Amino acid sequence: MEHEQLEKDIARKSALIYLPIAVGAALIFLATTSLNGNYPVVARVGGAVWVGLLGLIVAMPLVISAVKKQRQHG
Amino acid sequence: MSDTLTQISLPIGGMTCASCVSHVEGALKGLPGTADVVVNLSTNKATLSYDPAKLAVKDMVHAVEDVGYLVMSSEITLDVHGMTCASCVEHVETALKDVPGVQETVVNLGLGTARVRYLPGAVSLSAMKRAVEDAGHKAKERSEGNDALDRERQARDDEIKHQGRNLLIAGIIGIIVMTATFYDMLGPLKAFIPVWLSYKWVIGLLTTPIVFGPGRQFFVNSWRGLKHGVTDMNLLYATGIGAAYGIAVINTLFPKAGFGGEGATFFESAALLATFIILGRWLEALTRGRTSEAIRKLMKLQPKVARVVRNGNEQEIPAEDVEIGDLLVVRPGESIAVDGEVAEGYSAVDESMLTGESLPVEKKRGDAVIGGTINKTGSFKFRATRIGKETALAQIIKLVEDAQASKAPIQKLADWVAGHFILGVHLLAVLVFVFWFFIGYPRFFDPNSSFILSPYKLGTIGVFGFSLLLSVTVLVISCPCAVGLATPSAMMAGTGKGAEFGVLFKGAEAIENTSKLQTIVFDKTGTLTKGQPSVTDVVTAKGLPWIEDQLLRLAAIAEKNSEHPLGEAIVRGAQDRLLGLVEPSSFDSMPGHGVVARAEGTEILLGNRKLMEARSVDFSALMGQAERLEADGKTVMLMALDGEAAGLIAVADTLKEHSVEAVRQLHKLGLEVAMITGDNRRTAEAIARKVGIDRVLAEVLPQDKAEEVKKLQAQGKRVAMVGDGVNDAPALAQADVGMAIGSGTDVAKETGDIILIKDDIRDVVVALEIGKATMRKVKQNLFWAFIYNSMGIPLAAGFFYPFAAVVISPELAGLMMAVSSITVTLNTLLLKGFRPSVGSHKRPHGQGRPQSQLAPASAD
Repeated sequence: MEHEQLEKDIARKSALIYLPIAVGAALIFLATTSLNGNYPVVARVGGAVWVGLLGLIVAMPLVISAVKKQRQHG
Repeated sequence: MSDTLTQISLPIGGMTCASCVSHVEGALKGLPGTADVVVNLSTNKATLSYDPAKLAVKDMVHAVEDVGYLVMSSEITLDVHGMTCASCVEHVETALKDVPGVQETVVNLGLGTARVRYLPGAVSLSAMKRAVEDAGHKAKERSEGNDALDRERQARDDEIKHQGRNLLIAGIIGIIVMTATFYDMLGPLKAFIPVWLSYKWVIGLLTTPIVFGPGRQFFVNSWRGLKHGVTDMNLLYATGIGAAYGIAVINTLFPKAGFGGEGATFFESAALLATFIILGRWLEALTRGRTSEAIRKLMKLQPKVARVVRNGNEQEIPAEDVEIGDLLVVRPGESIAVDGEVAEGYSAVDESMLTGESLPVEKKRGDAVIGGTINKTGSFKFRATRIGKETALAQIIKLVEDAQASKAPIQKLADWVAGHFILGVHLLAVLVFVFWFFIGYPRFFDPNSSFILSPYKLGTIGVFGFSLLLSVTVLVISCPCAVGLATPSAMMAGTGKGAEFGVLFKGAEAIENTSKLQTIVFDKTGTLTKGQPSVTDVVTAKGLPWIEDQLLRLAAIAEKNSEHPLGEAIVRGAQDRLLGLVEPSSFDSMPGHGVVARAEGTEILLGNRKLMEARSVDFSALMGQAERLEADGKTVMLMALDGEAAGLIAVADTLKEHSVEAVRQLHKLGLEVAMITGDNRRTAEAIARKVGIDRVLAEVLPQDKAEEVKKLQAQGKRVAMVGDGVNDAPALAQADVGMAIGSGTDVAKETGDIILIKDDIRDVVVALEIGKATMRKVKQNLFWAFIYNSMGIPLAAGFFYPFAAVVISPELAGLMMAVSSITVTLNTLLLKGFRPSVGSHKRPHGQGRPQSQLAPASAD
């Protein structure tokens, strides 16, 4: 039980970090498409979703590992 | 006790009294976050509570070691299911290492095992299993014996069947999807295919069961891993297949949404990508099954029944019920159930399956027999001396299993690269997408270009679709799928090959180190020579009435009670000539000189020049002959009878039959060959000339052998030491590769990285050849594993697109990944045909053993 509680804490704390990173990456992409050229809405939104998804995949394991290590070393 | 404290119990070694207890207690109490520390001398345990947020288990271990005690660890092997790639290996290892109390873990993809060294009392089996489950896999404790074989084979068969079923479903539907997608290009064949098959929504309906059926494993495994912060190759496949399928569904249901419309659905990408990846998985499952064949073959040797004589009656019982001391009966053609000693009867036994010795070995009363070998000709009875895990077969199986579960340094590097590669690949996919979206598409895009193996003109796709597909293709083609297989599959094949020839590698590192050797050092006595000196020459002085046999007989009488090897050789020589020996009436040994004895009324002096000088016996007439014999590398003893020089007796050790051949082959392999011995330099160099040794390390005391090996290593050489696994243990341990030769079947007690079961020195050459062949295979596999990625990434990322308007499709990327797995699998299987250039297996049936050559007797 204690282990599960620890896992949940790590998951929660990590999500508070990697979700904003992923969303941030998507928003930066979206903003860049507004500045450069006339991209169709579908391309802009689709691209933002894809960048956000890949950003999530990159950030999740890095953040979760870092949070776990931080918990272990106190 | 606070809610944040965890209780732990550590087994402590080295405590002998109350003050030891207080030292350990003091060390643990001094750590931050501990409470209620109690150390018990009778149970050898330290029990305490600690705050995991402030203190790690390894800190406790260090604290105990700092005060001079040990925290005892245990080992367990877990069967881990569901691993498919090198990054899975890395993640399972990381997950287990993160469990407090686990000290070390080695995961083997090929065997599907995790060998864990842990602190009992600090971690439980369930905690380890939970950690593996959190990393996305299932684990259970590995069982021993034939049950393990059955379970292991069942697990492998289940996996092969599972992936085979997936492949069948995906393959059949994939072919239909491909046919339907290329409908317009089929020409006359269109007549046989209904047109409705080419409708997008029909293709979508056909693709959906592939993605959510056989392809579901990628999504499920990815999510499980991501939840716990691990990324593996499943994620690459899931994002690739998911993106292609998602876009295809949107373009089918909402063609005006702006993703390319009906002309740009990518159902065939999703379907074929899934199919090709499953093909790779199926091949990997087959490879893992094949390469653990060595263990399976060894385990199959274990007979299931034994015939014992109890209470005067013969009865058949399960082999596992045999007890030590039981009398067993073996008939021609039957397998020997356990290790034992022949009590009655005579036969010839085929031991080739365990020792690699090609000719049947004769067995008579008092000879040892090995469980698992086959009785050929006669019947005999034997007493069981070793059963269960103690038998030679069980020890060999354990050794080969342990070796196959270990990791070579090169594999650790490959696993680390593969494990960290996944994140890098996703970053690259983002960069590729962003580049083509903002820069590449406006600058280089050609609407008339198309993907290889795809019917779509890229012009219909648009900036988002184009950039997305390149990004997806990069994900798929970067996947180092075959890297996880490259090294372990070759290592397993290599260790299995070695076991076939009686060469047991104790670990993958032993194989890797063997391939890099530059110098081989042989211990002389017992390794290059038989270790049993024998009389070679008896020379009588001219003008005296003694004949050779009389001289030898008197010398043997003088040495009858001697324990010196030279004395024993003389006694053996006389016994061989059937010369009757009597007890001397007096005997006196003079260390460093010789012996003085009296028998049958004659005073006998037998020894070296010092003895004769001390007794004023003139040997000048025989000195010339003595020196000629010594120059031939023999040890010469001077013999005087009643104060007169009577003659000379020369003794030499016999070279092993194949010593010269083995050294010659080692030279062909480019190695320097050295010999280490306690003999004086003149004698040692004489043998070195006979055998072809390059470097002689003479007059070395037994306790200094390890130091001599160290000196060679200090010259920058990678050194192997070949010797007796028990007596030469320090030198074998010091060497880069220690080879224990002639261990027989008690392999467990031998020091050394390689155990050579037979007493055939050519097996040193066999070990080297297998090591080199295996490492060649590893490097070839790694080349094939990485070459597809190296070539494919620039293609997939569109590097050549501006110049050649060529880009590869996701399904072609998937096919290339399957081909890389196929290549590695087939390349590894080629090792099965490897045959060493020397060895007892090469001796034609019926050929006698070659003549022995003589070597100087040893002063070791």
